[in-house]
Amino acid sequence: MGKLNRLVKGELLRLVRYKILPVSLATAVLWIGLFLFMSAEEAWKIAPLVIFVDVAGMSILLLGASHHLEKQDGTIRTMMVLPVPLGQILTAKALASMVLALESAVVTSAALFFIHGVTFNYAALLFFVAIAGAAHAAIGFVLSLRSRDFTSLIGIFTAYILLYTLPSLLFSVGAIPAKYEWLLLLSPSHAASHLINSAVLGKYQAGMAAAACVYLVLLAGALFKFAVYPQFKDHAARG
Amino acid sequence: MGTAFQIRDLRFRYPSSAGDTIKGISFDVREGEIFGLLGPSGAGKSTTQKILVRLLENYQGSISYFGQDLRAMGHSYYEEIGVGFEMPVHFTKLTALENMEFFAGFYRSRADIQELMERVGLWEYRDRKVGEFSKGMKVRLNFVRAMLNSPRVLFLDEVTNGLDPANARIIKDMIAEYRDRGGTVFLSTHLMNDVEQLCDRVAFCVDGQLVETSTPRDLKLKYGRREVKVEYRENGALASAVFPLDGIGFNQEFQNLLQNREVETIHSGETSMEEIFIIVTGVKLNGQAE
Repeated sequence: MGKLNRLVKGELLRLVRYKILPVSLATAVLWIGLFLFMSAEEAWKIAPLVIFVDVAGMSILLLGASHHLEKQDGTIRTMMVLPVPLGQILTAKALASMVLALESAVVTSAALFFIHGVTFNYAALLFFVAIAGAAHAAIGFVLSLRSRDFTSLIGIFTAYILLYTLPSLLFSVGAIPAKYEWLLLLSPSHAASHLINSAVLGKYQAGMAAAACVYLVLLAGALFKFAVYPQFKDHAARG
Repeated sequence: MGTAFQIRDLRFRYPSSAGDTIKGISFDVREGEIFGLLGPSGAGKSTTQKILVRLLENYQGSISYFGQDLRAMGHSYYEEIGVGFEMPVHFTKLTALENMEFFAGFYRSRADIQELMERVGLWEYRDRKVGEFSKGMKVRLNFVRAMLNSPRVLFLDEVTNGLDPANARIIKDMIAEYRDRGGTVFLSTHLMNDVEQLCDRVAFCVDGQLVETSTPRDLKLKYGRREVKVEYRENGALASAVFPLDGIGFNQEFQNLLQNREVETIHSGETSMEEIFIIVTGVKLNGQAE
């Protein structure tokens, strides 16, 4: 655990030094600014979308930025020759990425409370955000490892958004009938969106929420084991 | 002294490659020696080093590290080795000291960071971000990084590339001192100055195969010309003469020249490692085929 702690502290320090955490915070503060001009009900309804964008979108981009900066610095190779299992290195990176997602949820929740007095089940939200954050950290890794540089990551990320996030947004505006929501859960974006909506708005569909949780946990595990782990090692070897 | 590495019939193929990059090489690295792996670009030096530091795993053949199968070793292997990469490997937005303290924290055995950084002339720049370092400073910091855990075996890739002669000398002195204290060094380089000044034994790698393994001295004897060249002044003009090295002490013509002419230089015909490299690999040092 000592080495994992050290790795996580290192990741967090770098998130600050590489200005990734400050940028994430600035984005969250921007949303808070918008809450000031909304009614309590409007802010409450838009809050899940704000958290969702950070968990399922910004966290992927910020993780990608961090990965490509480290690739540019050549530090992946030197991390691989530390007496630390690769699993711990990836866990630390995933935890740091989840911090970005949790930070957004905390800032948004605090803003809703202090500006409009809106409260909801914070424990459920943090639990769901942690699960969604882990799955999207894995997705972020896969996209980063498949991209040549940050610019190409943006291209791949845009394709991902069109394929997985757009249907979820269309569903939220009623363009896709509710009866198809189970099918939509195959999209990690929608699974995350469903969980965040449930926690913030307090409307739970137990079966669907459980399915979304299990799906995201299994997806995160499978991606880390079968895609991220071997590809990360391959990247380190190629330098 | 034992054997640090025993490599037998090592073969490796990259997944995207049609043929083997390493084609059945065998060699030993003895404990307490500086072993140089030399060869032109693309010969397989870096691949061999990556296999030995376990960045590449799906190899064929056997590698033993102080008698243990390398494949069976856990992460404790990295407690014992230090790896100096050719390219910079530091977090550029962190200071030099933050980088070193971060990496050092993972090792059970830790060298004195201040002492190492002072020796390579970086201690006064310890609070400067690595991104502001010159190439030479980054190379020196790479070396400090490799030495952080007081390793038993040190892997160095082009360790003085990009350094000015004074700093290259400091690094080479530190490597020689490390060897004198019992450390083992695996050096891959194309800088023949480093080889001449540091290596106890060298192996030449060409197209994934070892074509020659020997000591620099034996190679010079093998590939050198057994002759002595004398440059002297005759009637104000520069002249030269070449004599066979065998029986030089009884060569009357040679002795007459020494006694009666103004000798300016005397050179034995021993060849340089650079010339040996070109002869053995068939490749010039800029990568062109002969």
